[in-house]
Amino acid sequence: MNEDEAYEYVKGTLKKERIVPYQPYELEVVKSVESCINCGLCINHCPVVAAVGLNRFSGPRSIAVELSRSPPEFWSTADTIYLCTGCGTCREVCPKNVDIPEVVNLIRARIFEHRPDLVPKGFSMIREVLTEHNLAFEPWADLEEKAESRDMRLEKLGLPYVEDRRTDTARVLFYPGCQAEERAQEVREAGKVILDYFDIDYTLLDEMSCCGLPAKLIGDNKTSRLLAEKMTEKVKKLGAEIVVTTCAGCTSNLSDLSHHYEWGIPTVHLLEFLVEMIGLERLREVMDHSPRQEQVHVTVHDPCHLIRHTSRQIMDHALDILRQLPGVRVTESNAIDSCCGGGGMVSYHSGDVANAVVRENLEAIHKTGAKKLVTPCPLCTAQIESNLFKAGSSVEVDDLTVFIAQRLPKKR
Amino acid sequence: MNLECDVLIIGGGMAGLVAGTVSAKKGLNTLLLRRGQSATANSSGAIDIIGYMPEVSEPFSSPKEGLSTIAGLYPLHPYSIVGYSDMVDPDRVVDEIAGRVRETVNWLKKNLRKTVSPLKGSFNHNIHPITILGTTKPTCLIQETMYSESLQKDDDSALLFVGFSGHPDFNPSVAAKTYLEDRLSFGEPPRKVGRCILETAPFGKSYNISSIEIARHLDHETSIQDLANQLKRPVEQIGASHVAVPPVLGLKKAVENKLRLEELLGVEVFELLGFPPSVPGLRLQMALESIFRKSGGKMLVGHEAVSYTRAEDRVSGVLVRAPRREIQIDARAYVLATGKFIGGGLNGDENGIREPVFDLMTVTREYHSAEGILPTRFTNRIAISPLGQPVYSCGLTVDPYFRPVGEDGLEWASNLFAAGSILAGYDYSSEKSGLGVAAVSGYSAAKNVLDYIGEVT
Repeated sequence: MNEDEAYEYVKGTLKKERIVPYQPYELEVVKSVESCINCGLCINHCPVVAAVGLNRFSGPRSIAVELSRSPPEFWSTADTIYLCTGCGTCREVCPKNVDIPEVVNLIRARIFEHRPDLVPKGFSMIREVLTEHNLAFEPWADLEEKAESRDMRLEKLGLPYVEDRRTDTARVLFYPGCQAEERAQEVREAGKVILDYFDIDYTLLDEMSCCGLPAKLIGDNKTSRLLAEKMTEKVKKLGAEIVVTTCAGCTSNLSDLSHHYEWGIPTVHLLEFLVEMIGLERLREVMDHSPRQEQVHVTVHDPCHLIRHTSRQIMDHALDILRQLPGVRVTESNAIDSCCGGGGMVSYHSGDVANAVVRENLEAIHKTGAKKLVTPCPLCTAQIESNLFKAGSSVEVDDLTVFIAQRLPKKR
Repeated sequence: MNLECDVLIIGGGMAGLVAGTVSAKKGLNTLLLRRGQSATANSSGAIDIIGYMPEVSEPFSSPKEGLSTIAGLYPLHPYSIVGYSDMVDPDRVVDEIAGRVRETVNWLKKNLRKTVSPLKGSFNHNIHPITILGTTKPTCLIQETMYSESLQKDDDSALLFVGFSGHPDFNPSVAAKTYLEDRLSFGEPPRKVGRCILETAPFGKSYNISSIEIARHLDHETSIQDLANQLKRPVEQIGASHVAVPPVLGLKKAVENKLRLEELLGVEVFELLGFPPSVPGLRLQMALESIFRKSGGKMLVGHEAVSYTRAEDRVSGVLVRAPRREIQIDARAYVLATGKFIGGGLNGDENGIREPVFDLMTVTREYHSAEGILPTRFTNRIAISPLGQPVYSCGLTVDPYFRPVGEDGLEWASNLFAAGSILAGYDYSSEKSGLGVAAVSGYSAAKNVLDYIGEVT
């Protein structure tokens, strides 16, 4: 047997041995684990540990020093590894910035490959939708009903309807993300209202497809890669100069894709676009003519995918923007290591854990005394809104994009 | 994306937060970057000024005594720097040093008074709190929850060590045994020591419990009453006058919880000093962050300084990286408080010791270049010994204004200051001076920053 043959032979045994070799881009994550000093600081900050205790979720330190070191028997971690919400708090507080959230994805991918029987059953529905429709939420069967639902939402929120724009010469690609496309349609509409108000030359995708983050979190790397490639193809074909999105998860994931697939253009959240491209001064001038001048006391929820996976500066932008809006008073919540619990696909199979995680936020929200919570992410909005409702709270929840769009004057 | 500020603090531990708070309190627009959490958050929460003289096993009785010795023997020690400036009369070197440290100690006590980490102790004498091993250590300031005035003074004091079932971080039997042997050998009170194990189940199970879970649990309304009910019997059985608990008395309400327990039981209650991940370390970090924010400072968490730009003799800007964004920050003055090896302020590998942001000159304990040394050659075989680890003494060397210097002995840039454990010339582990040096150098660097900015404008 020559060397090439030997190599092929060994490769052939990998499946049987349940080994998935690390891809080059995964090696950096694996190496980061080496610098873990086992101090356990992450345990003090992990919102899941805070919510359900170390006995149920063994915590980020355990992921770094135990679970990551169990190849090829990664399946043995399945009772724990799916409970991580991927909020990124551990990586941020870690003195060595060990990339624990990515370790979680690595392990989930290997369980998915070799022990599909241990992948939570709650994922099967969304996987079906992802592979069939390239979307994270099942599309409406009846487009007329979808339009009706949209119009009802617009009417309730007092937002105008702006026609969808699809051109292949636009400078800005507006990507609302699956949730705003199929469920929280008001966010997608609000994004359009804002871009249209400022005469931005934007377009939507001809055919919306998922950025691939949910598939990645499930561990289904094949689907995630297919979606990423599909997205890359669309972006490159369009030739836009920037991608603007209204979803926190899409912001961080598309930023990643832009880097890995060499799009050559940035992806930003609409908040960043407002501050950096349109400018706070312009916004202020416009808002002086806002039809809504009533006093409103709000608090803000920081989406993990913006603050910990992208940059905390974005939420400073959010506060700066809120300061330009007439009659808006902001009280910041003191939930520091907070997560809405909706991340990491945890709510699909362990709703009790997801809801326990959000509880900490609810207390902090009530403490602010605010009447309304705003957050720039449709997933956080939905998760917090439903939990506040269940808790019998009177605090309203609005997506921040909607909140801003509502305050724009009528376009001349 | 660009940001501008007056003062950019790089590093969010004790040194950076003290420097930042001093600067923000003076009305300067102060921005603080933090990549990960610091050694401060990992500490026991006690603030040591100076406990031991290197290579000597008898502790100093007071910071003042320690500082006079250090000032005489180690003129380049970070504490000594403020005394050896041209402006200080040679006869007044020690007074100047002691004065600055006393000022910092008082500043910390005053500013942390209304936080989750109020401090006890004074510059005039070291205190000897008990650790979870049952040993004692000399330190200057501890959190109020760790303090007992009377335990080691009252002739008839009796101490009860309390542990929690299923909490692996503390074994009260071992601590009680070690502590009693220690006290008997000195012939000092307390002469009676006991132990007990209580049941607690923050999430319904009394095993696999971490310190932080108990601390958060005790912050809930009824938890302290429950603890007091369980403690009543063991306290009566040994006739305890004092109760020592592991450092888990609460995250936000620790002081309140201590007082409540004392009221319910009629004894003095205090926390022991613990290992990382320690709850008091977290409280201290939270407290420092809260005073910084309240003073008007802005924190940019999760951002790391990666490179810089220069204009003549000044640093003109720093490039900062978040997980998926980069920001250019231009400031008038910069404070480098990035810590040592844990914090990432210094990197040590087979190619020597480097400072990664500005590539500043690093030196060894003997003030030779550390740029080509093998860090492994600068370690002792015994991990914790009075000799310390020479590699801990490596770092930056600074001028009397706390500005890092280059090979020529002159400041590397006129507006770059350094503070905290990134400084060379002291070994916090054998001296027991870690947070003290961090606070004093942070405080001093900030004063120099204020003077510098005052001069340029």
